[in-house]
Amino acid sequence: MTVALPSHGPAPVKRALQPFDVTLRHGKRYQRVRVAFLTFSVLLTVGLPLWHLHALDVEGAGLAADNRWAAVGRWLPATPPPFVGAPTSVWVAFFELVDPLETLATALFRGVTLSLVWTVLPGVLLVVALGRFFCGWACPYLPLLAASNAARGLLTRLGLPTADVRLPRQTSRVVLVGVLLVGSILGVQLVPIVYPPAVIGREAFRAVFYGSLGAGALLVLAAFLFDTFVSRAGFCRSLCPGGAMFATLGALSPVRVVNERSKCTDCTVCDVVCNLGQSPMTNQLDGGCERCGKCIASCPTKALSFRLVPLRTGKEEAP
Amino acid sequence: MNRRGLVGAVAAALALAVVPKRVKAAPQRKIRPPGALPRGQFEQACIGCFRCAEVCPTKVIRFPGALSLEVATPHLELADRACVLCMKCTQVCPTDALVPLRADADVVAKEVRMGVPKLTRSACLPWTGQGVCRLCYQVCPYPDRAVELVGPQKAPLFHADACVGCGLCEEACPESARAIVIEPLP
Repeated sequence: MTVALPSHGPAPVKRALQPFDVTLRHGKRYQRVRVAFLTFSVLLTVGLPLWHLHALDVEGAGLAADNRWAAVGRWLPATPPPFVGAPTSVWVAFFELVDPLETLATALFRGVTLSLVWTVLPGVLLVVALGRFFCGWACPYLPLLAASNAARGLLTRLGLPTADVRLPRQTSRVVLVGVLLVGSILGVQLVPIVYPPAVIGREAFRAVFYGSLGAGALLVLAAFLFDTFVSRAGFCRSLCPGGAMFATLGALSPVRVVNERSKCTDCTVCDVVCNLGQSPMTNQLDGGCERCGKCIASCPTKALSFRLVPLRTGKEEAP
Repeated sequence: MNRRGLVGAVAAALALAVVPKRVKAAPQRKIRPPGALPRGQFEQACIGCFRCAEVCPTKVIRFPGALSLEVATPHLELADRACVLCMKCTQVCPTDALVPLRADADVVAKEVRMGVPKLTRSACLPWTGQGVCRLCYQVCPYPDRAVELVGPQKAPLFHADACVGCGLCEEACPESARAIVIEPLP
């Protein structure tokens, strides 16, 4: 589908439909809940280290508050919070939400222990039930992805070229296995060094505790530049090992986007707006769907919706 | 999944089952938080979640910033601060790279070995007869076990087998002397 744009020349310029051409028309409450959850996740990424730092400074009265965030954290309570951790490893009172990928990497080295299983179980159960929702609801890279998409939109409107190299979707699975193998050959955990939520969490901690950023910021920047100039949402779609892990674990999730074909007009708007290369229009969605709900929100005829799909089949048959 | 995908998946699973267990890597010698697994095993278990650094009351647990394979593992900056053996870091580690330990004097004495004390006698005030000092002995959580005062000048003698490596002696030693340092485990 093409759109006609005004230009300075004598004839209108046509180009393919772009995500910024698409309006999100309904499903606004879902989007608001999702964005609120995401905001909470991002605030947690920076806020938890800040709260802990403030509690440490108060507890260690006599230790100078040697960080420039002291003024910001002064309004936080002086007792440390009952949560500890990062986007990929949060401890809330008595249960843990630890990233399955990092736990798998540990288990490959150290074997599967009861303690590891107990630690990772809540997170795994959530992903098995809800699919790759972490990528769409909680990943701290999402604001950067939105910025990258906005930058792409701006560049396109300015007439500057942006490539959209679509790497095969299996690439992220290859990256996943590759990262685990190379890490095991080197004898270190490579996942926390290349997996964006872990890197962003640690950089946020570093920024709060030390007032500076480290090498991880370079990786995040590289991913952002890749997404902006080479491939739309390319890191999430085809490179992120964590995304591949979630997609594999969440492949049997019963919560699916379903297209009611009787209402569908094949306008392709849902396919265009999907960041992860899924095809809601043809009901071809696999574990890679991050349940962001943008396809549902963009459909002009409300043909798309979330449904609970029976587990025995991989795809829902169109009604 | 098509046949090629299946073959790939099986090959990957086999590789991942075999390679990690066969590898013997030799990471750098660093002073790790208390309760850490031995060198080599610690780097395999630590996921760099920084919870240990978040709860450390003296903020001695640090993460390096420079680009390296160690960028996601913590170490103790004993040149700057000391560990007070509160054991909070061991309580929050999600993968048991730091084995949970109670903050009990006997448990810690038995289970914790973070480093080896190295005394430069030529810089030490009692040993060179230049002063009384004895600060290291006074701050040591295990006096007469990890460090004892010997001789007529009551100079410190360190015992590495009883030393937990907390670095309180290094912190107490006067700046002009800097005689005692905790070095990473061999």
